Amino acid sequence: MNITTSEENNHTIVSIDGKVDTNTSPDLERTLSGLIEAGQVNLLADFENLSFISSAGLRVLLATAKKTKAQSGSLKVCALNPTVKEVFDISGFSTILSVFPDRTSALGN
Amino acid sequence: MSELRQQAMILAVDDTPENLDVVKGLLVPEYQVRVAPNGQIGLKIARAQRPDLILLDIMMPEIDGYEVCRQLKADPDTADIPVIFLTAKGETEDQAAGFELGAADYILKPINPTLLRARVKTHIALKSSLDQLKRTGEELAKAKAKMEDELNVGQRIQLSMLPTVAPRLDDFNVFATMRAARQVGGDLYDYFFIDPKRYCVCVADVSDKGVPASLFMAVTKTLIRASTSDDHSTASIVTRINNELARDNEASMFVTIFLAIYDIHSGCLTYTNAGHNPPFIKRADGAIESVNDLHGPVAGAVEELAYKESQLQLRAGDTLLLYTDGVSEAMNSDDELFGEQRISSLLQRADVGDAESLCSELLAEVDSFAGDAEQSDDITLLALVVDKDAQVSQTEVFEIELVNQFSEIDRLNDAFNEYADRVEIDMATQLKINMVFDELINNIISYGFNDQREHKIMVRADRGTDELIIQIEDGGIPFNPFLRETPDVGASLEERDIGGLGIHLVKEVMDSVSYQRNHHLNRVMLVKNL
Repeated sequence: MNITTSEENNHTIVSIDGKVDTNTSPDLERTLSGLIEAGQVNLLADFENLSFISSAGLRVLLATAKKTKAQSGSLKVCALNPTVKEVFDISGFSTILSVFPDRTSALGN
Repeated sequence: MSELRQQAMILAVDDTPENLDVVKGLLVPEYQVRVAPNGQIGLKIARAQRPDLILLDIMMPEIDGYEVCRQLKADPDTADIPVIFLTAKGETEDQAAGFELGAADYILKPINPTLLRARVKTHIALKSSLDQLKRTGEELAKAKAKMEDELNVGQRIQLSMLPTVAPRLDDFNVFATMRAARQVGGDLYDYFFIDPKRYCVCVADVSDKGVPASLFMAVTKTLIRASTSDDHSTASIVTRINNELARDNEASMFVTIFLAIYDIHSGCLTYTNAGHNPPFIKRADGAIESVNDLHGPVAGAVEELAYKESQLQLRAGDTLLLYTDGVSEAMNSDDELFGEQRISSLLQRADVGDAESLCSELLAEVDSFAGDAEQSDDITLLALVVDKDAQVSQTEVFEIELVNQFSEIDRLNDAFNEYADRVEIDMATQLKINMVFDELINNIISYGFNDQREHKIMVRADRGTDELIIQIEDGGIPFNPFLRETPDVGASLEERDIGGLGIHLVKEVMDSVSYQRNHHLNRVMLVKNL
């Protein structure tokens, strides 16, 4: 799994390439925590190149969403593929996280 | 209620001492007699001593006999003591007033000795009978409550052991139902995958009724599940079950068993009948067959018996119907039996395609036949309908052995995805299976072993025509991952808890999941329709 970060429109964009599962979720966790500690609390996770995410990954997203919210920020996600979207729907994460179809709409708000 | 006394005790209340002497003279020594010179003292003695009878004067100073009677009847401790008014007030209205207050009788003064003794005897006897009746009633109520408790326990044991969700696969569909008689019997049915290629169905009937039968049934069912895990011969399985049951069977209970293993790929049904009523098969062309072979006597009776087995072929459109004698021996109010004929006729008439509707139809037919007559035995039905002809799997089976390290999950997924490409499973499904593997293998590695040693985890996958069947086996501590509670997926961000989410995803993404523990292995089976 590869993570690249960039900034745009007051958001920190975290692009994830590959999959977030038992083995890779700790890396994602480290990256996101690091960003929040550095004061970057408006996060956008770009899932364009994410193949799948397991509950280990969802755990990280949930923790991150709670942390950013506590600091008046937010965690948005965008560009979910059908499989990932299904996981989000089943787990109820579609309702607790802000999900956008693509980067533009996510950053526009 | 008065305690049991050797001799009945009578309380006489009168403000004239001579009257009390007369009463005492007439009733002692046959009865114990207490006396009270006025109403107040009378009431005190009544409450303290609980006499079996009270003789009450009416005309007394301070409180009169009517008032005493009223108070006696108002107090639950003394309300049941019969009261006889002894008085000169003989007018009808006075008598009526007395009876209305709850008096049991009325004797006019001057007292006629014979009359007094007779009336006293009658009322004492009456009171004694009433007391006896009350005691019996209380004992009956207790016994009834206890019995109902037992029945409930028995029923709960019975029902909790029977699977209720029948799989709908493309190759066949199965349905079973058991309706217990009022007195808990010992019918059971079961259906489950032994492995991706073999499906087991069985029906059994324990002799006797009540809680012991349902416990015997529980043991039988456990033995069936345990014995089928590594044995594919029904003869061998039933032989082993019989030995186990017969060994410590002090109560001499026995069980009839019909056990069959259906090979999904070849269509072959291997079966053993241990003293059970023969099942029916309806062929695709409408012909009805009775599966008559008997492979041994009822199970649990005699140790060291060798049971046999037979085989037959099932094809698309065939239906196998198993049942217990609660069906064929269902009686109506004219003492007629439902009989095997009616079962086979209904099977002939029915438009079979769906196991569940066949069972409902048959059950409805039995009910309408039985009418008002009470169900005397458990009624069990199990139907297996073959939808597609079995095909020998052309595709290879996927098998891999992992060790309990997290890095192995990637190796599993890579190997599986290669296999999946070869057998033409689409990408989206592959990703889902990858996720499922991640969840389940993670669980096993994290929680399955309590030591630091290396352990093996076996994964097998078999692509059928329209479904993918996966089996994961590990030798860890007994652990059923599907017992996790479903998380509240509607909860808000603040309320969300991460527990149970992984398993929830697995259950939602796969079409059917099951867990079995056999010997020292945890076995999880998953099915995904393609």
